[in-house]
Amino acid sequence: MRALLRRSLAVATKEVRHILRDPQSLAFALGMPVLLIFLFGFAVNFDIDRVPLVIVDQEQTAASRRLVESFSAAGTFAIVARRDDPAAIEPLFRTGVAKAALVLPPGFTRRGLRGEEAVAQLLIDGSDNTSAAVALGYASVVALAASQTSATALLGQVEVPLQARVRTFFNPGLRSAVFLVPGLMVLILVMVAVMLTSLTVAREYERGSMEQLFATPVGRVEVILGKLGPYFVLGLLQVLLVLTLGVVIFDVPVRGSLLLLFGTAALFLLGMLTQGLLISVVTRQQMLASQVAALSTFLPALLLSGFIFPVESMPRLLQALAACLPARYFVHALRAILLRGNGLAEIWVDLLAMGLFFAALFVAAVRRFRRTLD
Amino acid sequence: MLTPLLSLVVKEFRQTFRDPRMLGLLVVAPLIQLLVLGYAVNLQVEQVPTLLADEDRTPQSRALLQGLTAGDTFVPAGWPGSAAEAAAAVSRGEAPLAVVVPRGHAADLLRGRTAQVQVLVDGGDSNRAIVATNALSAFLQQRALRLAEERLQQEALARGVLLQAPRVRVEPRILYNPTLQSRIYFVPGVGASLLLVVTMIVTAMGMARERESGTLEGILVTPLTPTTLLLGKTLPYAAIGLVDLGLVVAGGAWVFDVPLRGSLLFLFAAGLLYILTLLGLGLLVGSAARTQQQAFFGAFLFVMPALLLSGFVTPVENMPAWLQPLTLLDPVRHFVEVMRGVLLEGASPAELSDRVLALAALSVTVYGSAILILRRRLG
Repeated sequence: MRALLRRSLAVATKEVRHILRDPQSLAFALGMPVLLIFLFGFAVNFDIDRVPLVIVDQEQTAASRRLVESFSAAGTFAIVARRDDPAAIEPLFRTGVAKAALVLPPGFTRRGLRGEEAVAQLLIDGSDNTSAAVALGYASVVALAASQTSATALLGQVEVPLQARVRTFFNPGLRSAVFLVPGLMVLILVMVAVMLTSLTVAREYERGSMEQLFATPVGRVEVILGKLGPYFVLGLLQVLLVLTLGVVIFDVPVRGSLLLLFGTAALFLLGMLTQGLLISVVTRQQMLASQVAALSTFLPALLLSGFIFPVESMPRLLQALAACLPARYFVHALRAILLRGNGLAEIWVDLLAMGLFFAALFVAAVRRFRRTLD
Repeated sequence: MLTPLLSLVVKEFRQTFRDPRMLGLLVVAPLIQLLVLGYAVNLQVEQVPTLLADEDRTPQSRALLQGLTAGDTFVPAGWPGSAAEAAAAVSRGEAPLAVVVPRGHAADLLRGRTAQVQVLVDGGDSNRAIVATNALSAFLQQRALRLAEERLQQEALARGVLLQAPRVRVEPRILYNPTLQSRIYFVPGVGASLLLVVTMIVTAMGMARERESGTLEGILVTPLTPTTLLLGKTLPYAAIGLVDLGLVVAGGAWVFDVPLRGSLLFLFAAGLLYILTLLGLGLLVGSAARTQQQAFFGAFLFVMPALLLSGFVTPVENMPAWLQPLTLLDPVRHFVEVMRGVLLEGASPAELSDRVLALAALSVTVYGSAILILRRRLG
């Protein structure tokens, strides 16, 4: 046991020297999370407003103008152009100027005055789903509200028949930053942690220094442990940076225990670093390792972690795949700790899953690590 | 110049594909990613587990909750007995949404007062919360409208007149992707981002590898001119990138029914400009790095912001005003728009001229300056 520790420590010392000798990479490792949290926080915004809208008002009456006004008033749409001819709409979509168009056809006002249904058309550019979904949802709400006002107006003193009182827990303004930032933290940590270790072993194979290591009595477990240790410390610094910046800049509440927060993050970090090591051990080639690392982190963590797209809406097979990703559990645990102030009782499953992932990958990395060169 | 260039290209191909796993990774993996992840993307919020608390226990309250769960959007996740129980369950994270019909709901309806419905939302998952709340309020508004009309009819009957309220209806029509299938929208973005990983990171690391293993000096003493060397180091990846682009378009069309409404030739021409920009960036990053690790980190430092600012994840109009001009420098943004325009909207080259001009300017500037800078440094 003591020999194991001593030898692991020796490998770790060598790795630390290696890290310190390359201050540029070290700066990258610490600067990248900072840059990413800033960029992510500002660039990724799901509170969709200002959907660019073209107005084609073929009526120009008080009634048609009223509907146009109710569309522009709420802030969901921003009117970018007015045209007389509906044929002018598609070119505006194709050049990316507008993403929705409100058409008030001839006869709109007359039908409304006769008590019939006045039909306006909302054309939506379906090539941008996010904006399209928002435009679609909003259109029916505007129309319904307009109809309802006229119906209740005729009834005079009668009250609105049904009213919803919405109470939002944990995030009263429904600010997307509050739920996005925990997800961003996970995404950033996945990438920087896997990147940190994915080249370390492959590099030694490529440069031939692995051969020298084999000549020493250092064993497989000790190499893996020794490689993991220094990057774990570096990774903890990244965790600290990402969590602190995310919470401070974007005003994300920390309602749960700080100790639990860092403990969970540390466990997740171990899993990610080991994933990088496993990639390195299996590929033994830096370029290949970098590709595997890049492809196995960003898109899966972005799409399958439940960070943006709810896992429950995915097909069964993908839900099973997502269940194997520690990022999915970390996103859940992080939101639980930060926003809901949950404790161990609510997130023990997440911790267990992350622990199992780490253990399984550690064993795999040790077993796939061969003390031969070919 | 051609023969040495050709032999260099062959060398680069051989070196890259000496490990057959590399072929799999550069060509097969992007395709698998596209197909697997295409299924993951579902912006439509469906099957939201919803707690239903019926404190009123009347035919009216039951009808309301039944109507709510009749569609695909809300799925009953439990029947807590009271509003307090529902609130506790939501705050424990058991379900993202709870609908409570308070006591007196039916009585209020009958007496013509405003009947209340309480909605409890877990804002910790606000993307879903927003969509679910919108769906819920649309449902309630529709119901309110129907109730209002019923009352109107009763009122009219009581007064002995025929009354009808004018109704405004906005009829939505979605062009290009009528069912708003997320996959169709997603394929262009994923295609652009996969090219970024496959071409730029590989070029950067390829340059750094020569430096790291000391083979760059070996090549420099051969009669190859620096320009030939740089072309030889990048052209193989341009070819791989174009093949990947073809695979993405074909795979998307075949598996996800992504349409191809514009000109394929135009798409590949724009794709080549995009790839050249990425290769130029890869050369610059790779030659500034001393080790492959630095090259990898440096390339990522560009890849991530470029993806985020491209409008692939969220629309550019939604970014802060000061950030939007910056997206014009992002080749990914222009290419994502070209992909969407050509594939989904059938946009003509003239309609996309701004994007293509931007890509052309970027590729000439970046690739050109990479060659110029490196030629001087190597020469």
